[in-house]
Amino acid sequence: MPHEVTMPQLGMTQDSGRLTQWLKQPGEKVARGDLLFEVETDKATMEIEAQADGFLTHVKADEGADIPVGKVIARISETASETADASDAPAPAPTPEPEPEPAPGADDALPKGHAITMPQLGMTQDSGVLVAWLKAPGDAVGAEDILFEVETDKSTMEVAAGHDGYLAATLAEPGEAVAVGGMLAIISQGPPSAPVTRSAAQMAVQMAAEPVAAQAPPGATPQAVTGSEGRILASPKLRRIALAEGLDLARLVRAGHPQPFHMRDLEILRSLPEETPPQGVQQASPHVTAAAAAMRLGAHCPQDGFAAFARWAGETHGLADDDALLAGLAGASLPGGPGIVAVERFGARRAFLVPQDRRLSAVAPSDAAPALILRDLRATAVESVAIGAEALPVITITRQGAGLSITLECGPDQMDGPAAIALLDAFAGRLREPLRHLL
Amino acid sequence: MREITLSQAVNEAIAEEMRRDPTVFLMGEDVAEAGTPFKVLSGLVEEFGTQRVIDTPISEPGFVGMAVGAAMTGARPIVDLMFGDFLYLVMDQLCNQAAKQHYMSGGKLTVPMVLRTNLGATRRSAAQHSQSLQALVAHIPGLKVAMPSSAYEAKGLMKTAIRDNNPVVIFEDKLMYQDKAPVPEEEYLIPFGEAHIKRAGRDITLIATSSMVQVAEKAAGLLAGEGIEAEVIDPRTIVPLDEASLIASVRKTSRAIVIDEGHQSYGVTAEIAARLNEKAFYHLDAPVLRMGAMDVPVPFSPALEDLTVPTPERVVAQARRLCAGELIHAA
Amino acid sequence: MADARKDNDVKTNAEDYLRMYRQMVRIRTFEDNANQLYLSAKMPGLTHMYSGEEAVAVGICEALTDDDRITSTHRGHGHCVAKGAAFKEMFCELLGKEEGYCRGKGGSMHIADQSHGNLGANAIVGGSMGIATGSALRAKLLGSDDVTVCFFGDGATAQGLMYEVMNMAALWKLPVIYACENNGYSEYTRTDEIAAGSITARAEAFGIEAHQVDGQDVLAVNALTRRLVERARKGEGPFFMELMTYRYHGHHVGDINREYYRSKEEEKDWKENRDPIIRFRAWLVAEGIASEAEIEAMNAAITEDAAQAVAHAEAAPYPDASEVDMHVYAD
Repeated sequence: MPHEVTMPQLGMTQDSGRLTQWLKQPGEKVARGDLLFEVETDKATMEIEAQADGFLTHVKADEGADIPVGKVIARISETASETADASDAPAPAPTPEPEPEPAPGADDALPKGHAITMPQLGMTQDSGVLVAWLKAPGDAVGAEDILFEVETDKSTMEVAAGHDGYLAATLAEPGEAVAVGGMLAIISQGPPSAPVTRSAAQMAVQMAAEPVAAQAPPGATPQAVTGSEGRILASPKLRRIALAEGLDLARLVRAGHPQPFHMRDLEILRSLPEETPPQGVQQASPHVTAAAAAMRLGAHCPQDGFAAFARWAGETHGLADDDALLAGLAGASLPGGPGIVAVERFGARRAFLVPQDRRLSAVAPSDAAPALILRDLRATAVESVAIGAEALPVITITRQGAGLSITLECGPDQMDGPAAIALLDAFAGRLREPLRHLL
Repeated sequence: MREITLSQAVNEAIAEEMRRDPTVFLMGEDVAEAGTPFKVLSGLVEEFGTQRVIDTPISEPGFVGMAVGAAMTGARPIVDLMFGDFLYLVMDQLCNQAAKQHYMSGGKLTVPMVLRTNLGATRRSAAQHSQSLQALVAHIPGLKVAMPSSAYEAKGLMKTAIRDNNPVVIFEDKLMYQDKAPVPEEEYLIPFGEAHIKRAGRDITLIATSSMVQVAEKAAGLLAGEGIEAEVIDPRTIVPLDEASLIASVRKTSRAIVIDEGHQSYGVTAEIAARLNEKAFYHLDAPVLRMGAMDVPVPFSPALEDLTVPTPERVVAQARRLCAGELIHAA
Repeated sequence: MADARKDNDVKTNAEDYLRMYRQMVRIRTFEDNANQLYLSAKMPGLTHMYSGEEAVAVGICEALTDDDRITSTHRGHGHCVAKGAAFKEMFCELLGKEEGYCRGKGGSMHIADQSHGNLGANAIVGGSMGIATGSALRAKLLGSDDVTVCFFGDGATAQGLMYEVMNMAALWKLPVIYACENNGYSEYTRTDEIAAGSITARAEAFGIEAHQVDGQDVLAVNALTRRLVERARKGEGPFFMELMTYRYHGHHVGDINREYYRSKEEEKDWKENRDPIIRFRAWLVAEGIASEAEIEAMNAAITEDAAQAVAHAEAAPYPDASEVDMHVYAD
């Protein structure tokens, strides 16, 4: 049986060694204990003995090569004539590996430099639409150079770079709306090695994937409704019971009750009279509905049946709009019969009318007010949501392993318990096996 | 029921087990004729002889190491470590040798030994004879740690410790040796990992170990006068810990103070408070407070030493704040 | 060779001599394979080779019965083989496999076949001296006539524990034999740089009878040990042996650049002129106990046995993840 010669592990911290010299030639007779080759480690140079009798064959490492510990570098065979296979070509002396190309969008780190943001051009404006870039990524720019064109509700205007340097990154594409103050570009001091081009939508996904950026929108947690009043100080137990009973701790704040709140304050909270909505706030405002008890129901589909269904529907029936398909499945699940469903993705919202006969091919865009919001977060890093009731019932779809997690959140004034259960159950069933919807 | 001192209870437990099992023996400094400086073991050498009640030289690592070897080969030694402070001397033998033999041998070797020692300040013994080092050994997987709070527990836990097949460290409070408590004449054992509710209450849970159980009971008496009903729980062993009983009590009262005489930082109180936080968070109406010894070497001067340990009055003050819904350390 | 041959009838003891030779070759073969497993990065961790010291472990263990105990060291493979362990379970232990003597939880530094009286290898230098002495104390207390041998190196004579337990062993006449394997080096330092005075004088100071013996002469080691074990059984212990020996490898595998503490010429001299296996083999042939061909056949069978055990161990499964918190405590 041939004996494999490996790069020895000679130290506790060593993971490779340099083969400095072979002390036997390929084909030469070798006896156990003969010095076979010489290795240099961080500690020392050392001669290594053969551990078997035979002939040195299959030499796979050149002198001067750095070789990982444990790697086979030759064999000691029973005959001198055993030769190497084609795959046993000697390992060449190492050449520096090229830096791996960063995958598009995978580079978390943006180039360093001055951030160029969407300018605030009017008193009431909160976003602007990027019309065009007037420089290309990598171009040198002067502070006075016009960098891009923006359209607001008032006008279109040109914006200067403001800094000398190079356009290292553009972070929005023409046609995209970007919030005032949102990042649009980066101007670096030196020429960028790999200029970055991203859309605002990609940026949104990126931001959602970063924990610090995943800040809840205003009014996100049921109790954090006090806005400028800040976080309410209350014990964990009181919070749990208030949530279960649909009691808003903010009412204690508004009633002038001193914080922190404990269980002893529960009776007072229970006894506070119902509040009427403050003037100027619509009944459907998230603040007020969130103050009422939020219902949150969850369902889980172990397998994502929808993705394959959407592909199939696109290929064989020309139904290429996944949003319309989702809206169709959700609209068909509404307990009161099909209606209008708005699909939200990356903050963009499109509403669809689902016909009475529930045919997916007849689902059409609509401008009418929706009965349900379907928030599709499958492309984000978000795993679960607990946002609380909003102006409309919201179904949120997130990815969970190979399957999907589906959450319905709504207020008791929007839907009662049995209706919510029926809606979520029907929709989850359709997502699991969309084909059954067609039957 | 008859009342005996904690010292007599320990003595009885050891004597009963030595009569029952000829492999049980006792070794340590001045355990024979002297019966230890606290006179806990007086009389045992007369009954069992110097073969089984062995006076050792002042060589703590040596005789603890020998107890490990004797335990590994079929005996059940009880080692007497005169002061808990000397644990530092025997750390290798206790923590590297005794605690790990069973695991390192894949379950083939066992170390059924008891190391009995003590804790407790306010005896005016200064920094090297007053420490409560239970957290040090409770940190080491493989060791069990018992902390009797009265003569009753001292006897029942000692008998269980002697019969346990693991190394057990048992801490007696050196200030309680003369304290009397009802102890049955008939034989009993107290299982490890079973907390005891010393006093039932509705408003706050006082979890206390060893000497601090008395402190907690006194505090509960004072609180009752103010209309606050405190529940006092004694875990009795901190390894294993009866987490379920502690959590059940806190779920009921929604407030807790954990009291132990070891240094407060990184201590027994911190461990128990952390578990309550992890497992009873949504039942808490106030933060769980720790009360341990101050993080200072124990001072000699009575004027200073008394400041370093929890007292009933300090426990009452903290319990009052929790029950009043006072804002505690909120940022 | 030693004077042993003078007071022993060569013919009647032939079987014993061949077993001693065989055990020494088994240790060397085990270590050669372990070294290869380590060098080829198949063996995790850290390991210390016993090669060169075989006559010590074999000479001593061949004088013991299965009831006699030993404690071993971080350089413990030789003691393990000599006390009766099998290759298969040993290689499995080295590779962290479930079939290992310690279910893969101990590894090279804690390897032991506990069923033959090996109380474990110990990774703390001098850490087992208490255990060995305690085992002897147990024998005396429970009236057993077994003897415990405590293996340790010259480096361990610098640990305080040794003096504590030798004192007690001498006071109480315990059946323990302290076997100091003096291989000349305390890790990477010459022994004369860390040890003042004589090694045997340390024991003699306690009134312990001490002997120095050529640790490369298996018959000398065996004859001395048999005499001392016999006397220890009769209550004449303890005893101390200093066995002059040499380790062929570095302190651990990977200690390759060691010319700063010892020369290649010195290593060569010990290997070529004082090797315990070469010397004993020549003696066996000269005395007509075995022929060269018989010895070669014995060596080949051991080599094959080791190869099979290595192959078995490499293919053997690791412990299940459920083992990780098993054996922390005994039932």
